[in-house]
This record gives sequence, structure tokens and C-alpha cells, in this order.
Amino acid sequence: MTDFRKYPPFEEWHDWTELDAKAWPDKVEKNYTLVPTTCFNCEAGCGLVTYFDRDTDEIVKIEGNPEHPASRGRNCAKGPATINQVYDPERILYPLKRVGERGSGDWERITWDQALDEIGARIRKAISEDRNNEIMYHVGRPGEEGYTDRVLKAWGVDGHNSHTNICSSNARIGYQSWMGHDRPSSDFANAKVIFLISAHLESGHYFNPHAQRIVEAKAAGAKVICVDPRLSNTGAKADFWLPTWPGTEPFLLLAIARLLIESETWNESFVKRWTNWETYLEQTRPDLPVEWESVRGAMLDEYAEYTPEAAEQKTGIDTDTIREIAELIGEHPTKFASHNWRAAGAGNMGGWQVARCLFFLNVLTGSVATKGGTAGNGMNKFKPAAPIGAPGITSWNELEWPKEFPLSYHEMSILLPHFLNEGRGKLDTYFSRVYNPIWTNPDGFTWMEALKDESKVECHVALTPTWSETSWFADYVLPMGVAAERHDIVSYETHAAKWISFRQSVFRRYAEIKGGTDGESADLGPDARSYDYNPGEVWEENEFWIDLSWRIDPDGSMGIRQWFESEEYPGKPVTIDEYYAKTFAENVPGLADAAAAAGQSPLEYMRDRSAFEVPADPYEPYERAVDPSAVEGCLKDESGVFRKPGTPGTWSGDLDDLDDLKLSPLGDGSPAIEIDGEIKEGFPTPSKKLELFSTTLAEWGWPEYATPKWIPSHVHWEDMDLAGNERILLPTFRIPTLIHTRSANSKWLNEISHRHPLWLHPEDAEMLEIEENGLVRITTRIGHFVIQAWRTEGIRPGVVAASHHMGRWRLEEDKARSWGAGKASITNDGTTWKLKREHGNEPYKSDDEDTERIWWKDTGVHQNATFCVQPDPISGMQCWHQRVRVTPAEPGDEYGDVVVDTAKSHEAYLDWMSNTRPSTNGLRRPFWYARPLKPAATAYRLPTD
Amino acid sequence: MTRLGFLLDSDSCIGCHACTVACKSEHDVPLGVNRTWVKYIETGTFPDVARKFNVMRCNQCDDAPCMAICPTSALFRADNGVVDFQDDNCIGCKSCMNACPYDALYINPDTSTAHKCNMCNHRLAVGLEPSCQIVCPTEAIKIGDLDDPTSEISRIIARDDVAVRTPEQNTKPKVYYRGADQASLDPTRTAIANDGMIWAETTPGHPTMPVPLGMKPTDEEGVVARTAYTTAHPMTWKEKVSGYLVTKAIAAGVMLVAALLVLMGHSDDQAAVGVVPPMVSGVFLGLTGILLVVDLKQPTRFHYLITRGNWSSWLVRGAYILMAFAIVCGLWWIGGLTESATILKVLAIPAVLAAAGTAGYTAFLFGQCEGRDLWQTPLLLPVLLAQAVTAGGAAYVILDLFMDVPEVTAIRWVLLGGVSATAALIAIELTSKGSRHVELAVGAMTKGKYAQQFWWGGVVVGLVLPATAVIVSLAADIDSPALPALAGLLALIGMFAYEDSFVRAGQSVPLS
Repeated sequence: MTDFRKYPPFEEWHDWTELDAKAWPDKVEKNYTLVPTTCFNCEAGCGLVTYFDRDTDEIVKIEGNPEHPASRGRNCAKGPATINQVYDPERILYPLKRVGERGSGDWERITWDQALDEIGARIRKAISEDRNNEIMYHVGRPGEEGYTDRVLKAWGVDGHNSHTNICSSNARIGYQSWMGHDRPSSDFANAKVIFLISAHLESGHYFNPHAQRIVEAKAAGAKVICVDPRLSNTGAKADFWLPTWPGTEPFLLLAIARLLIESETWNESFVKRWTNWETYLEQTRPDLPVEWESVRGAMLDEYAEYTPEAAEQKTGIDTDTIREIAELIGEHPTKFASHNWRAAGAGNMGGWQVARCLFFLNVLTGSVATKGGTAGNGMNKFKPAAPIGAPGITSWNELEWPKEFPLSYHEMSILLPHFLNEGRGKLDTYFSRVYNPIWTNPDGFTWMEALKDESKVECHVALTPTWSETSWFADYVLPMGVAAERHDIVSYETHAAKWISFRQSVFRRYAEIKGGTDGESADLGPDARSYDYNPGEVWEENEFWIDLSWRIDPDGSMGIRQWFESEEYPGKPVTIDEYYAKTFAENVPGLADAAAAAGQSPLEYMRDRSAFEVPADPYEPYERAVDPSAVEGCLKDESGVFRKPGTPGTWSGDLDDLDDLKLSPLGDGSPAIEIDGEIKEGFPTPSKKLELFSTTLAEWGWPEYATPKWIPSHVHWEDMDLAGNERILLPTFRIPTLIHTRSANSKWLNEISHRHPLWLHPEDAEMLEIEENGLVRITTRIGHFVIQAWRTEGIRPGVVAASHHMGRWRLEEDKARSWGAGKASITNDGTTWKLKREHGNEPYKSDDEDTERIWWKDTGVHQNATFCVQPDPISGMQCWHQRVRVTPAEPGDEYGDVVVDTAKSHEAYLDWMSNTRPSTNGLRRPFWYARPLKPAATAYRLPTD
Repeated sequence: MTRLGFLLDSDSCIGCHACTVACKSEHDVPLGVNRTWVKYIETGTFPDVARKFNVMRCNQCDDAPCMAICPTSALFRADNGVVDFQDDNCIGCKSCMNACPYDALYINPDTSTAHKCNMCNHRLAVGLEPSCQIVCPTEAIKIGDLDDPTSEISRIIARDDVAVRTPEQNTKPKVYYRGADQASLDPTRTAIANDGMIWAETTPGHPTMPVPLGMKPTDEEGVVARTAYTTAHPMTWKEKVSGYLVTKAIAAGVMLVAALLVLMGHSDDQAAVGVVPPMVSGVFLGLTGILLVVDLKQPTRFHYLITRGNWSSWLVRGAYILMAFAIVCGLWWIGGLTESATILKVLAIPAVLAAAGTAGYTAFLFGQCEGRDLWQTPLLLPVLLAQAVTAGGAAYVILDLFMDVPEVTAIRWVLLGGVSATAALIAIELTSKGSRHVELAVGAMTKGKYAQQFWWGGVVVGLVLPATAVIVSLAADIDSPALPALAGLLALIGMFAYEDSFVRAGQSVPLS
């Protein structure tokens, strides 16, 4: 037989038979039920299908979901490794409450009821005492769209904190300053030139769907350019690997931009039609007539210094290559697809200019939401409206959105412990959710100090599938499920299409199918909870929040319970089935019809397939005609922008006139713009066009950065003692097999990758006298760590790099184990903290025989703790790159040592805060900016005291 | 005819290891071993640097050496051309792991049997593609029928530039690579530096190479790229195999000398010719058998060699040779016990042949080990025979300490002859030119990891000292058996040291 298929046919998923791999060549039939879900191991949300053995009721393997439009049945290594996480012998199976001091490691098992009662009571008390802003939900990986936002709104709590500022804040400002949408959505599959300041063939969002399409395009002849100071796997596959000096990327990009304009290969008609060039001329060149003919000259003047020769000197990329690339880009207007998310954006102060200058090339070539170009996330992402509403937020939490950072995109989460230390507020109840700030964030010891202090953080609830350095210091450790055990809807702008993917507790779904009769699934009833079906009592946040809300407001008198009530079962909490049934039936275009055609309810349809492509036209939405009725009553200004009364677009500017001002999630409420006599959708920016000149940046304290420009990084090479032992440390790189905290629970992933030596160029090794395999001491502003060297030609001399993923630790031998954590001891003497590595990984006995087969020892070094906070003054981004001294290890240094002085952390914090430019116009933030849990306009008013 | 093979597209491969994990999942492969993995190599000097990814696994060879050597047909060819395996037959001898030039097989610690990629034949049987193929984000793994010229992979192989691993071993691999350069596919041209691998530890199963400050991995002669990631492939035949070569040499050699003594007219010496030699031989044959059985991962299945024997395997043929030799020894012993000179005279030539076969068959077994070029030297047979002669002489000069032995001078010459012949053969071996693989193995043996053992143990203790001692005792006509006995003992110890360095050095050259 030579005709093979990839996946079992969909019609047979409930009852599929294949042969046992181990019994082969004996043909032993195994009977499976295939239940799809969505991966939880990164943000891409790829499709997965779990195989339930009908004899043992256990998951036997996890494959891809062919129904998923983005992942198309394929996965990265982390997808199938989910099964390791489900059956990891060290996973937390029951809710736990601490016994004894915080961090002492003594836990008692409690019931979910007890957890809900106790935590609910706290929150109830806080809300009834008007201490709403002492409740905080600090999320690492959301893995869902808007569910928790609705919960916080129902509670009236402006309590959403995130990890964005250790990840993408810079990139977001770069993109949203152009088009309002803050994330790129590239159509790689149809591009001719792909420009990555990222490592999308191995990591980042959305690695798997992107890699598929980038490689497809490459095979069809597209050229791939990858900018990275180190040779990432992506750089290795690219046609051009450009190892720029960190932070000089905007200079390179502007040199290319200048060449496109100079050689007249830029897409003039697009730039003329869709950028706010008039404003650009008015603001930057009042000496020139405001006509299109002035633009080219003005831009050539502005970017005169960005010659290829100057770029070679600054960036280290030779002029021939720069010209070649500019020519290549100029040859393919509209088919230039680019991407920056972290990488140079996450590493450098002013790194938001990386995305701004990169997207500038998209704008210049007219490759904005074109076939083969780059769109904005809002154009391709689809967020279904929640089936139940919620009230708006009317307060503003300065612990997340402080005055110093009016433009931050988004919350200043890295500064939370510093704010708590300064007495800016306290936290009554702090939820850390799939988030490990003590380890993942910079300045982990400052986090540890703050989280241990019960006067600053009164109650810490860790919602987590795995043990982590942070959950060790929590008061409640509540196990929430991984991909196979929870309900969520996700949607990401992975390519030129709209889709949603449904994550479900496959154990629960399996029970429904198995308990069903005549092809109908069993009805599990309103009292079913996922913890009844998942391993142990592992639960999920969706249901947890519903039940918690009922504990907060049992009789409904606080106005909270009403948002979580079941229609189907009056007097009971809304069920998961109800919630999603309604969402799918009413709020996803095309889904109800597709389900009807398949003879199923929308919920059944999604439980069986887990993914749905929403019918959409993905290209050039800004050119879409807008119905005249939508602009009725609007005022049209001189630029053709329709401004709606009652929205920021027509606001008087009077701070007392905010009560009735309606804010939109993004944009100032303008429905359209008139271009050449036609009413078009435009972009959600104040000008409704792509903002070559950002009036927002100019008006909010940064006029010098209103146009794309290079800002020297805090680690700019010309400012450093490279002839001595100072180097740039690049800690942001990730690898294809790991993801932050939760991949430590996968044995297969950690077998492949468990070591993160310090990459350094052999020239540097010689200069710095680092021996072969030698131990190195890396000294940062606030401390030092000791790591092993790995010489490689794949990194720019002057730059050293250690992957982000490793360096996990636990404090007790037999608790909080994982396949990636070593054992450490931590001591402190005043503000000086020392982490000493006792040992790495060791084989041990457990229910999984493989723990006895652990053959590796290394678990890395916790480098992040030695990084002080370095918030970019505009975006708030943690600028990850460090100026470090690289020296051979000193006598007494041991591998894995981490030493930090939190007093120095505090100094560094104050230093960086002094760069900020708080608002001077009485408002906390531009109205048109997106913001999670965007409050009412009145909350934007800065107090006058 | 259906002949399924793989097309691995290194152009598309992004080195993400999804295939590694999907395979682990599908087959519940334990930690520490892999059916498939991704090798990373790095080449170049900044900024002209490359990193390349290539998937490694069984090559489903059309002329599979693992199938030829497997003593129990645990490895067999399925109808669709896949080289498949039958767990129930495997005795865990690890011959396949030495026959394979690709590191394709491993011993599963769960089952203690040999496993490898079998193209997910259990999936093919129900019409599903292999797990690695369906997971791959860039569709870099494809199966297809090589006998169907219209299949996708046949077309690619026909028109695009494709390569295979180690074609010179003539195994006719059915796994084709597109976009893989020679550095990627030739494991003798890349090395892991002492700095280690990109994100995994090195272990004893990962030989590494020192790279002093100021040097590069490619400064090492013949190395064109640095290996940045690969999985471990530990040695499988160690001191038990080296030991068995020595015990077998003694068993064979004792009878060779006994037969010589018969031919020299001493068939009536009941003790030294009739009874003791077959007993000594029997003991050492027994030890040989014990070592062989104990080296098996499934020792209780040793009888499958006979009950499920695969006649093409020299492990099986060797087993029969050993049995035949045991029978000859038994009959000889009876002849000795019954003081029947006739029996001894009749058995003399058969004994010589059986002894030669016993000592020498390993050359043919090693000859089937396509993964170990060092062992495939045509000089191996003469060396084994010479060693049997040495061992026989050594055994007898030691016997001379405890009993009356005839023709002591001749025996001392036999010892000297064996040692000299061995020395000459080794010298020829070391000075002859071979493939890069052989050169690396010889290098490991004589200059690298096993140099001390080879020179001090194998040469000095095993050849120089015994030869000197015997020459002295012959020249000075020393009566006392002590010096020659010492020479004999040293010769045996040294033989072990030499064999052990030979066996290990042979396995030290990376195959993937």
C-alpha cells in the first residue's frame, strides 16, 4: 500500500482503531477516541489532537489537529510534548495552602471549596471597603481572549497586570505608532522578501505557523533576511544573516529606507495616499509648501546621515549588502513581509524604533495588509464577543499604569516590587498566573523581597500548572490545567486569515463521548467541574473565576454575581457549556451555519473540531468602503477624517468634560476617512492614516521622536569599553524546544535542551583569557553570575549571549522538582543575596521510570536575577541587554553562582525612572491608545493634588 | 514491488526537533536513546557562518548489514521494503549496532532489546504516514515508493541533487537527503569541541575534541565543521568482548599446540596432550560462552542462536563452530582419558581446523560489522590466528609450571612465533593506508584515547616483554619454566589490552 493519509479521517475520531506500536509486528488493535484541543505551550495556539485509549481512559499521545487553519496539523516539539506535562510525576495535582512562613516549603492539601471560600472572602472584603485596586491579576501567558478581562470588569477591579513589558512593549509602540494596531500580521506565504528581526524559525509568536509559511515562501523563491547579533537557527536558514551591533538596527533600516527613496523604488502612490505626510511637512518642514512634491526632498534631508557608509560604520553590516538588500526590496513592492516582536526591540532602549523603522519599509513599499505584506493584528485576529456583558471600569490602578509612563504599552509590571517598596500601594490579593516573575523577570531578588513581605502582598495566590520559583513563595498554589485540561478561546493573527481555536478539557470531553449513547454526547450537568475529570483535581481558570465570583458575591448584592449567572439553570453559576455554546452560536460569524450543515450544535461542532476559520477578506481592510450611515452626524475635518460627537475625536480638551466621553478599545472613535471623494475605513489612528509623523509622541513629551529615527541603545557599542573587558550581554534568545517556565515539566524537551553556555566569539575568548570550556564571571550593574563559556563563530565579537530558558532552581530536594530545575540554596545578608548551586539534575525514583534515566546534570544559571530593571522611558519595555564585564571566574566562584545587591537594584530603578517624562496635560494616557481593561474617560483624569 | 524510502529535505528543515519528540511519543522511547534526532553542525568564520540541520535515523537499507548479522532474524525486511524488527526474537547481542554504519539502533532499556526506526510500520499498516512526517512544520520528511517513478520522492530523487549517508559502505540506503552538504552527512568530518554542544551536555557517548585558545575545531586535520548538537551513541562491545577474544584464543590455541604435539609424536602423553588440553580448552570455551551470554541484554534467550538461528550471521555460524570445536575437544578428552593415541591422531587435523575456525571466525563476524571499518581489515584473520598460536604457547608455558610438558623448546618457539607474527601484522596494519574512518580509528588506538593501553599494554606487555623473555630463555637455554611462564602470562594480559583497545577504538569513530 503506498497511498497514505496523514490523519485518521475526521468521521472516525470518536472511535478510531490503529495498531499498537509496541506490540508490532504483532497486530494488536488499539481503540482510541480522538479529542482535539489547542496547545498551551506558547501563544501561537496551534491545534492538537489527544488520543484516548478506550481501555485505560488515559491519553496515549498527542498529535496535530488538521482542522486548525494556522497550524494545519503540524506542531513544533512543544506540542506533542504536552503529554509529558499531563503525566509529569512532579506536577501539582491538588490545591495547596502554605503552612508556616512564606517560602518555607511546607504545604497542606486543601479542597477547592476551601480555597474559593477563603480567597472569595478576602476579595469581597476588599471590594466592599473600596480597596478594589488592591486586587491584582498578574498574567504571564494569557492563552485566551478577553475571558479574564470580563471577570475583572465584573468585579470593578482595574487589576490586569501582564508580562508585556518583559516581552513586546517596544515592538508594540513601534507598530501602533504607525497604524494603531500594535502587532504585525505578516502574509509570509505570499511574500517575495521576508525581513525578520526575530527568530521565527525557532521561537516567538507564532513560531510554528510562521515557520511553515516562511519556508514555503523560500521554497517558492522568496528571499529571507534575518537580523540578529547571534546566529540563530533562523539566521542560519536566511539568505542574509545580518549580525548588527545590538541597538543599531534602526540605523540599518533607515539606510535602506533612504536608498528606496533615493532610487525612487519606493511605492510613492501608496505613501501619498495613506500616510499623514501633510502633517509631517507642517510639523517638520514649515519652510516647504505642503504638497506631495516636497515630501521626497524632505525625507532625503531628514535621513541624509543614514548613508550606507554610515550604516556600515554604525551597524557593522557592509555597504554592498545594504545596497543589495535595498535593491531586492525595491524590486518587490507590496510583497515585503517583515516582523519584529522581541529581539532587538526587547533588548534595547529606544528599541521601539526597531519596529517603527522596520514597518517604515512596509509603508514605503506599500506592503501594508497586502498579499505578501504585513497587516496589523486587529485585521486578522478575531475576538468573539463574550456571551455575557460586564460593566466598565471606572478607576485607574497606578501600580500598573503609573504617572511616569503615560505611553507605556502596556503595564509597568517589572516595576511592581519597586512601587510596593516605595509605598505606592499594597496588594490585598495578588494572583500570579502562569507567570514566574521571581525567575523570568529582571531583578528577581527584589521580587522575592516584595513577595515575601506580607505587609506589601497580603495574600498571594499562584494559579499555575507547575511548580515555579514564584509559586514557592505563594500562600495558595492552585493547579490550573495545561492544554488538555482547560477551556479557552484563542485567536491569533498568524497569517492572512481569521480563525478561532478552542481549548477544552479533553478528559471531560472524553467522558461526554464515552458516556454518551447513539452518537449523542452525555450531558454532564450543571454541577460538573473540570477537576472531576482532569488528572488529580487539576482545574481551570474559566470555572474557577465563575465559582470565585459567586463566593465574592453570594447573594448578588454587590452586583457581581449577576454577570456569572446561568440562564439554563437559574440560581446556579453559568456553566462552561452554556458560556461557550452561546459564544459559538451567536458571536462567531459563519460558525452557526457550519455547525448546522454538519448537523451539530455549534458547541458540539467546536468540541469535535476545536478550530474554525472565520470567513474574511484579509487584505487591505483600510480601503474598504464605509457605509454612509456610519458617518451620519460626524464632523469631517480638513484632512477628511470623520469625527464622531461624544468621542475623543471631537473632545473639547476640557478636563471637566469627560463624563460622557465614549472611548473605543482602539482609536478615537472615528468611523472613516474620506480619500479622493470615497469614504474609507482607514486606520485606527488619530489621522486615520499611517502616521509618518506621530502627533501623539510629539504631544506627549517626545517631539524629537515623532518620526522614525535611530535612538542609540543603552548598550551602544561605541559607548562601551570593548577594548577592555566590557561586552554586551544578550539574554533574550530562545530556542525551539523550550518555553519559559512550564516546559521544565517535559522530559523530552529537557532531554534535548538543558544547557545554556555563554556564547562568545573565539576572538573575545582570547582577549578575555577565557579558557576552553572555562568558567566565566559576568558582572552586571547589580551583581554577577558564573557561567560556562561556549566559543562559537556564530556571534558578533563584542557580544556575548546566554539563552533565556535555563537556570531554574528549587530550594528543597524532593519538592518542586522538574526536569529542568537544579537544587540551590539562597542566603542573604541585608540587601546582598547569594544563590549557590548545590547540584543540577540527578536521576531519582518516581512513578515514571524515566526519572531514573536522567542522564544530564546541567540546569543552567539564573542570570535574570542579576539584571536591574531598565524600563524604556517611552514604552516601559524592560531593556534586556546588559553592559557587563566578562572575566574568567575568580577563585571561589562556582558554576551557577548568582550574587545580587538589591540596594543597587533600587539605585538603578531610580536612575531609569529619572529618564521618564510624565504627562503635562492632565491626562494619564492618550485616549486613543489601546489598554487592557480600558477604563472610562473620567478615570484618565490625573488628580490635581 | 514496493520499496519505501524517505526523502529528508534539509533545505526545509529548521532543526526544531518536533520529529524527535513525535517519535518519542509514538513509540514511548525512553530517555537516553533515540530513533531519530537532528544533528546540528556549524561551519565558517564570522560573519560568514552557517548552521545546518540534518535528521538522522535508520536508512532502511536495501542491503541491510543489520539484517545479515542479526543471529535470530529479529531484524527482517517487511513486504513494503522497510527494515523492521521483531522484539521477541532479539537476544540483545548488539551485533546489529556494530553492523550498522549509521548509529540507527539502540538497546531499549525497558525491553533490553534492540530497537530502531521502522518507518512507523504499524501506522503504514493502517494507511497512516509516520509520526515524524505529519508533525514536521515544514514538511521536510516524506516517505514514498522508490519503485514508483511517479511518487513524489522518486521525482525529487530523479531531478534534484540528493545525497545519502556513507554510500561507500554499500548498504544501499533508502533515505535520501536534499540540500545536505557533505559536511552534514560525513560524521568523520565533524567533531564536537570540548566546549560542548549548543544546548545539551556531552557524555561518554559523545566523543569531544580539545580546541585550545586561538584555534578552531576546523584546525584539526580533516575536520571541516563543528558538531553543535547530536545524540549520544555509547559503545556496546567492551571488555566482555575483548575478554571473549582472549579466552577463545586460549581455548583454540591450547588445542592447536596439543595437535602439534600429537603430530610431533606425543599422542601417548596422556596428561599434557590427551587430558589436560581439552579440559583447559573446555574451561576457556566455557568462559567464552559465559562472557558471550552475559554480554547479551537478554541472556536467557541465548539459545535462540540455535533455535531461531539466522544462518547468514557469523554469530550463528560461530556458535556452530564453537559447538563443533567443543565436540572435538570432548572427543579428544575421551581419547586422552582412554589413552587412545589413535583417537588423538585421527582428531589432530580436525582439531587444528576447528581451533582455527574457533579463533578466526570472529574475523568474519567483525567483517559483517559495516559500522566498524577498523575491524574489517583483512589482516584481522591472520592476527586472530597468530593470537591463538600465542595463546596456545602461553597456556603451555604456564602449564609447564605445574606439570611435565613435552617439547618445551618447540612450545617456547610457538609462543615466540605467535608474538612475532602478531607484531608484524600489527605493524603492517598501522602503516597501511585506509579510509578516513580507519585512520581515525587507528589514531584513537595509537595516539588518542587508547594509546596508553595499546602501546604499554598491547605492545610492551603483550609483545615486547614476552618476546624478550622467550628469546632470553631460548638463547640462554634456561631450564626453569618461570621466565617463559611470565612471558606467557604477560602475552595474555597484553593480548587483552590490545584486543580491548582494538575493540574500543573500532567503535570510537562517530557514525552520525
